[in-house]
Amino acid sequence: MRAPDPMAEIRASFFVECEELLESLQDGLTAMEGGASDSETINVCFRAVHSIKGGAGAFGLDDLVRFAHRYETVMDEMRAGRLSADAEAMRLFFRAADVLFDLVRAARDGTSLDEADIEATLSELEGLTGGSPKPEGEAEAVEFTPMTLSLDLPGLDISPDEAAAAPGWDISFKPERELFVTGNEPRHLLAALSEVGPLETRCDTSAVPPLWDLDPEENYLSWSMRLAADVDRERVAEIFDFVDGVCRLDISRCSSDVAGATACADRLSPDPTSARPDPEPEPATVPIAEPSAPTPVAAAGQTSPAPASPPEEPAKPKQTVRVDLDRIDRMVNLVGELVINQAMLTQSVAEMGIPANSPVSHGLEEFMQLTRDIQDSVMMIRAQPVKSLFQRMARIVREASASVDKRVRLVTDGEATEVDKTVIERLSDPLTHMVRNAVDHGLESRDKRVAAGKPDEGVVRLSAAHRSGRVIIEVSDDGAGINRPKVKQIAEEKGLIASGLQLSDSEIDNLLFLPGFSTASKVSDLSGRGVGMDVVRSSIQSLGGRIAISSEPGRGTTLQISLPLTLAVLDGMVVRVAGETIVVPLGSIVETLTLAGSEIRHLGPRTSVIHIRDSFVPLLDLGAELGYRTPLGQYDSSVVLLIAKEDGSRSALIVDEIQEQRQVVIKGLQESYGHVPGIAAATILGDGQVALILDPVDLMARASGATRAAADLTIIPGREPSAEESLHAG
Amino acid sequence: MALRDQLHVLVVDDMSTSRGLILQALDGFGVRNVRNAQDGPSALAALGKAPAHLVISDYNMPGMDGLELLKSLRSDTKLGGVGFILITGKADPDIINAGKQLGMNNFIAKPFDPQGLLNCIEAVVGRL
Repeated sequence: MRAPDPMAEIRASFFVECEELLESLQDGLTAMEGGASDSETINVCFRAVHSIKGGAGAFGLDDLVRFAHRYETVMDEMRAGRLSADAEAMRLFFRAADVLFDLVRAARDGTSLDEADIEATLSELEGLTGGSPKPEGEAEAVEFTPMTLSLDLPGLDISPDEAAAAPGWDISFKPERELFVTGNEPRHLLAALSEVGPLETRCDTSAVPPLWDLDPEENYLSWSMRLAADVDRERVAEIFDFVDGVCRLDISRCSSDVAGATACADRLSPDPTSARPDPEPEPATVPIAEPSAPTPVAAAGQTSPAPASPPEEPAKPKQTVRVDLDRIDRMVNLVGELVINQAMLTQSVAEMGIPANSPVSHGLEEFMQLTRDIQDSVMMIRAQPVKSLFQRMARIVREASASVDKRVRLVTDGEATEVDKTVIERLSDPLTHMVRNAVDHGLESRDKRVAAGKPDEGVVRLSAAHRSGRVIIEVSDDGAGINRPKVKQIAEEKGLIASGLQLSDSEIDNLLFLPGFSTASKVSDLSGRGVGMDVVRSSIQSLGGRIAISSEPGRGTTLQISLPLTLAVLDGMVVRVAGETIVVPLGSIVETLTLAGSEIRHLGPRTSVIHIRDSFVPLLDLGAELGYRTPLGQYDSSVVLLIAKEDGSRSALIVDEIQEQRQVVIKGLQESYGHVPGIAAATILGDGQVALILDPVDLMARASGATRAAADLTIIPGREPSAEESLHAG
Repeated sequence: MALRDQLHVLVVDDMSTSRGLILQALDGFGVRNVRNAQDGPSALAALGKAPAHLVISDYNMPGMDGLELLKSLRSDTKLGGVGFILITGKADPDIINAGKQLGMNNFIAKPFDPQGLLNCIEAVVGRL
């Protein structure tokens, strides 16, 4: 393998670090906007910009340096209290943060930005302080003469690393009276210790009383020792096994640093009340060098061992390590293979007829559990909080509201919710569009809001949460809600639905997702960038997600995205239908049952429902829906999977046979086949066979009335629809 | 043995990019005994564990800035004599003068190239 270029690595890590700095800049600005006026908050912002500038300078990213410099100069004014953080200042600070973000991206990708835009932002920003800053590099000359360090060359022999590497144990040992009673002899113990390694011993005699006070059965001696041997604590402790309980013993790792060395030396003077009278405390007793010999000073007494370890480093925030995403992806792929492999093995074992209570079966079960755990852990590595995504949306709201002259407040919730990194990246575009839509179409103009008795500042709410194994992201506004008559009228005009069709509110709302609906003739500045809600929906679908819309007149509209936690594996039910093997996602199956003929009601030649617990559920012949066969017409004693959508609507899928329930690795079809109606992806089963993974919700949607009507109709192009804005009431 | 083989340096910077660049440069000069810390308190802890001859520290750090680190070092009887080079964003006279008062050995303003850093270090410790 070629050695990586260290500079390229540092440069790459600079851009990663920039993302973090930009995030803390956003956090700081948001806090300031929310009223935080402490100096630390503005300092955080300043430092972020300053650090970006510093790093950029090292890589010669001049545009970035220039901008960051002028930005931080204005920020410095605020730091110094000469500029107040009013709404206008904050607006410009946010805008400058956006430009800084773009500049970082441009520098990373080697693209360039529109100079005029940047200059306009800067001049507005600098307008806050009423002057242009000193250009970089023209700081006043400072007088400074470097101060030579007198390096004591013998001192250089002291290698801190060697010192740090010196292994050993500090042992403090004080026999108690009982030690002698039990026939032990300290001398033997010390001799045994010295066989382990070089031992320095110091006997403390300071407690020995005058002869006339001496109790012959009492022990007055104690020992402080340093054992210079790289051995386990157990090796040291075992020597004292026989005197356990009849002595005071303290064994601690020898602290070899300077501070610790002093501490060790201190420990050698055992009694604080009697400073050792020894005029020559031999420096040699402490082999760990310090230029000046450690002077024993009064230290903690024997009973409470002196702190031999250096002060603990202050608690740090969570330790992290940066890993190339490719490596993680490789691991994800390998885990995927592991899951397939495990499935094959399970199948082979089952085919061999090995009993379920055999060791092989037990082992296999544990193996399955471990595989799942590994899988979860690997997926967790890929998970990231949606915060960065939400921060990007804050910018979209700022820009969108400015361009349509609305006052909009973005409220976010659940920023810490973690989602697969790929999902976050691929959500960016659809979410941007949804947020723009909310600002542009969802919210009414300021006049209309006031006229409707609402505050003139609209609210766009962005939330994320985990719910039953999926991630739910919602974009809602407190606007006027969907103007349903208008939507229906447009859909009819465009020929997307037959005129006069009776549609429920929810069916009308869902018309917004039809291809061709939002190809507004008047491309508005914001939403109408040629991207319709149908594109949003298909990008969400390509992530294995679903999107739902709900709206209340006068109260607002909510778009809900529901996504799988991972794009790699799925719990599925393997079924057979018309000779094909299909995997149905377990999450969508509510119940499985066998039909009795009496439960079936025929509503027409192609439409049947089943009667389940006081409700009627439409029957879908999976084989027919997927085009494998013509509808059977006779479903007595067929197997039925009752499936449900997020909104609670249900369908009964007719299949021929349920084979098993298992975890499958999702293999995308998109690249080769594009979006296949009713099919989410494919997988490889334990026997090596390829099976399709069903998208039940898509299947249900296709089978339901409104969309079927729409799908069957050709979109008539060239018709002039009215502007999209008019879709909303108010 | 050349000085570069014996010199022990501690690099302190909260930004890993900057730390990386300085470590890279020191490596290029052949200085082998280099450690790094990401803030003032960990620098003090690191020096407490094992001494160094020279500290190269950024000024702009959260919590304890470079000058505060210098002040802590100079007021420590054991670590007081360590060499100290401050890295600043710009040659701000206020910072430089404050550093001078505290006994800073040298400073270098960003951006700098390896040669600039080498000159700065050699002005303090002599020829590497």
